[in-house]
Amino acid sequence: MDEASSQNQLGGSANPAGVANRQNLEEPSQRIQYSIPGILHFIQHEWARFEMERSQWELERAELQAKIAFLNGERKGQENLKNDLVRRIKMLEYALKQERAKYHKLKYGTDLVQGDMNPPVEEGGEEGRVDPDAILSTNTNVSWKQSRHLLRQYLQEIGYTDTIIDLRSNRVRSLLGIDGGGNEENHNSTPAMNGSDTTKRQPDANRWNVTKKTPSCLEAQIQDAERAVIDNFEFLRSEGMEMDDDDDEEEPEEEEDVHRLKSPKVPKVALDVDDVDGESVDLDPDFRFLPDVEDTSPGVLGFGPGSRRVYGPGGEEDALEGLGELAQLTVTNEADATYDISSTKENFRKTWTAKYTLRSHFDGVRALCFHPQEPTLITASEDATLKLWNLQKTVPAKKSASLDVEPVYTFRGHLGSVLCLAMSGDGDKCYSGGIDGTIRIWNIPSSNIDPYDSYDPCVVGGSLSGHTDAVWGLTYHGQRQHLLSCAADSTVRLWSTDARSPLLYTYAVEKDGIPTSVDFVYESSNQFVCSFNTANCVIFDLETGKPVTRLDTETEQGSSSISRQINRVVSHPTLPLTITGHEDRHIRFWDNNSGRLVQSMVAHLDSVTSLAVDPNGLYLLSGSHDCSIRLWQLDSKQCVQEITAHRKKFDESIFDVAFHPSKPFIASAGADALAKVFV
Amino acid sequence: MKMADQNVVLRRNRPGTKAENFYRWCDEAYEEMDSTLVVQQYIQQTIRLDHNNIDTILNAPETQDEGVWKYEHLRQFCMELNGLAVRLQGECQPSTCTQMTATEQWIFLCAAHKTPKECPAIDYTRHTLDGAACLLNSNKYFPSRVSIKESSVAKLGSVCRRVYRIFSHAYFHHRQIFDEFESETTLCRRFTVFVTKYNLMSRDNLIVPILEDESAGQGESEA
Repeated sequence: MDEASSQNQLGGSANPAGVANRQNLEEPSQRIQYSIPGILHFIQHEWARFEMERSQWELERAELQAKIAFLNGERKGQENLKNDLVRRIKMLEYALKQERAKYHKLKYGTDLVQGDMNPPVEEGGEEGRVDPDAILSTNTNVSWKQSRHLLRQYLQEIGYTDTIIDLRSNRVRSLLGIDGGGNEENHNSTPAMNGSDTTKRQPDANRWNVTKKTPSCLEAQIQDAERAVIDNFEFLRSEGMEMDDDDDEEEPEEEEDVHRLKSPKVPKVALDVDDVDGESVDLDPDFRFLPDVEDTSPGVLGFGPGSRRVYGPGGEEDALEGLGELAQLTVTNEADATYDISSTKENFRKTWTAKYTLRSHFDGVRALCFHPQEPTLITASEDATLKLWNLQKTVPAKKSASLDVEPVYTFRGHLGSVLCLAMSGDGDKCYSGGIDGTIRIWNIPSSNIDPYDSYDPCVVGGSLSGHTDAVWGLTYHGQRQHLLSCAADSTVRLWSTDARSPLLYTYAVEKDGIPTSVDFVYESSNQFVCSFNTANCVIFDLETGKPVTRLDTETEQGSSSISRQINRVVSHPTLPLTITGHEDRHIRFWDNNSGRLVQSMVAHLDSVTSLAVDPNGLYLLSGSHDCSIRLWQLDSKQCVQEITAHRKKFDESIFDVAFHPSKPFIASAGADALAKVFV
Repeated sequence: MKMADQNVVLRRNRPGTKAENFYRWCDEAYEEMDSTLVVQQYIQQTIRLDHNNIDTILNAPETQDEGVWKYEHLRQFCMELNGLAVRLQGECQPSTCTQMTATEQWIFLCAAHKTPKECPAIDYTRHTLDGAACLLNSNKYFPSRVSIKESSVAKLGSVCRRVYRIFSHAYFHHRQIFDEFESETTLCRRFTVFVTKYNLMSRDNLIVPILEDESAGQGESEA
């Protein structure tokens, strides 16, 4: 509008002049038809157009830049790939060199024999020709022949099809016809087995051929090598081809041919390097082509599109030999590597690392227990509290190696240290026994509650009184819904969770000593096992309270009574096996039926304080006052892992260990007021 | 328990130990202790010897770092205060003690929530103790038990202040429980001496007349 007004003003001021001008310029103006509004309009129009075009250009530019970035990325990817392949080739070259050295040593003496052996059997006519040539050239071409032999072997092994061999051999023959070339440098091509392209093979062959020696020598050598190789191949073929799957995994980037070539060769050559020479020969007519191919074989066989590089460092003569050695090397390498991988995978599965640290107690954590299904656990401490922890609620921490967890709930009720803990089968209730002689029942709140919620007195589920001294052992039987407890008053009591008359039975066991730990015998239905501070360990019948089996612990004489104390007894979930942890650093295994000692082993550097068997019955976890927990495989009784955890307070370090019944967690409770969970 | 043949004292409470035999080992001199939890061991040992001997308990050995000394004592206080909380748990109902009060002047708000909340007394007690446990054990403020960061020393004072309120509430509202507990453990007296000695709280806040043996105290005691 301003423009319009300015137009008008201009128009107004200019009009008189403009009109005159126009009239004067009518003719030209008629042609051109300029007017101020028109001009302005036009200018605006043009400006708008320019703007539009500019924005379009901007857009295009952005697109192109994106495209450039993308292509750059791709290029980088390709470069990385190339670098990897190059690296691989170099590794193989190196391996080949080593193999050559080995193979050379191995084969050097026997090569002559082989050369002599083959001609008579296969091609008598050529013998004459071959032999002198062979003899002449043997010394110089021994290794080369060997390498060709090996190459043939490998080809054979991988089932290098005849058509390809024919094709190659034809190509080679034509090339040979054209060029005489040195043989020697081909060997280098063999080790470069990775990432070879069929397309590359031809240029390699060409290259290779260029460097050949005199054709005649070549042919002679070829034939010698052919025979030897055929021998080798036959031998290998007779052995059958094994595909080493590990190798396959190792080199995914290779082409199929090369891949297959390598893998069968790998196990075979390793076995047969020494035997190859001695093998009898059944000529396979197909392999006739191979000799021709042989000269070019290192390259043509596809071992080395990357052989370009191999050429330089290749140096040595024995492509086949080197290849054999290389194959050997790769066998071992790959076998080892895969072996390592599989073993590390297994180890990885078995290796537990600390994941969660549960800090909140003020004094040593005496017992802990996992929830049957959820990732929650309860700890009981000498500070007279129990705490409920939810492993999914971790404190955000800067140090991410181990996550801190804060408790969800604190159970207060004991008037003194809480010594033992048991969880009901469904995870709703837990039972704790303390130094005050009471067993308290707790209704476990949901693990998602707010820790600072109002106090709910329903959590306190009552207490079981009966014991008159510190309660040291508690165990719960899921199916029977019974609780078994042992205390320093020398009694073991059986309780039912029925509130009305909880105490079912009291077993007076003082003649065996003071009970230190109890467990139900899971394998049979009606027994429990109890361990004492006098190193006795007895299986009792639940109904009658009479000892059924007395585990034969009277083995060591002369050791002090304290050192023979059994700190913990656990019963295997499925086998008739009882495992005890002793103050004298041993873990002992007992047969339930006979009471005999199955095995005794020194498990720790200090007394063994706690044992736990995993729910499948395959592993045993033991904790000790030497600040370490150890994981044992039950069938081999071997220690598969040791974890150092917790610090000492007085002379105590680890009080309890536990497996999660359904999730892969293990936990340890320490005298340093911490509990740790490992995954 | 001494192992006579080896003459090595193993300070352990093994499974099967009777309650009366707990901690029945000979004391260890402070200088000879060599674990990382030396201070806690030492404090617990002196308390077990005589819980009335406050001065001995509170006097730090000469080479001891004062920050760590205060920290470990505070841990011990919070741990022992659990006994008082357990006793209160039965009697201090939200219906009777709807707020955390001591004398009529003060109502204490629970700091364990995002915004301070007027929790009933039993909730206040539990939350304060739980919060103190979290703070004193938190990796952020107290990552180590053998050295205390300067910045975290200030936290000790606030913990003391909140924890003291449990004493004052128990004294003024649940006197019998308080007296029983105090005769067993002398905890409140020890705590008062502790905070005055290390200046962790201002004197105005020390409203429980524990140090004046006879007088009834300034505040009115409410049933």
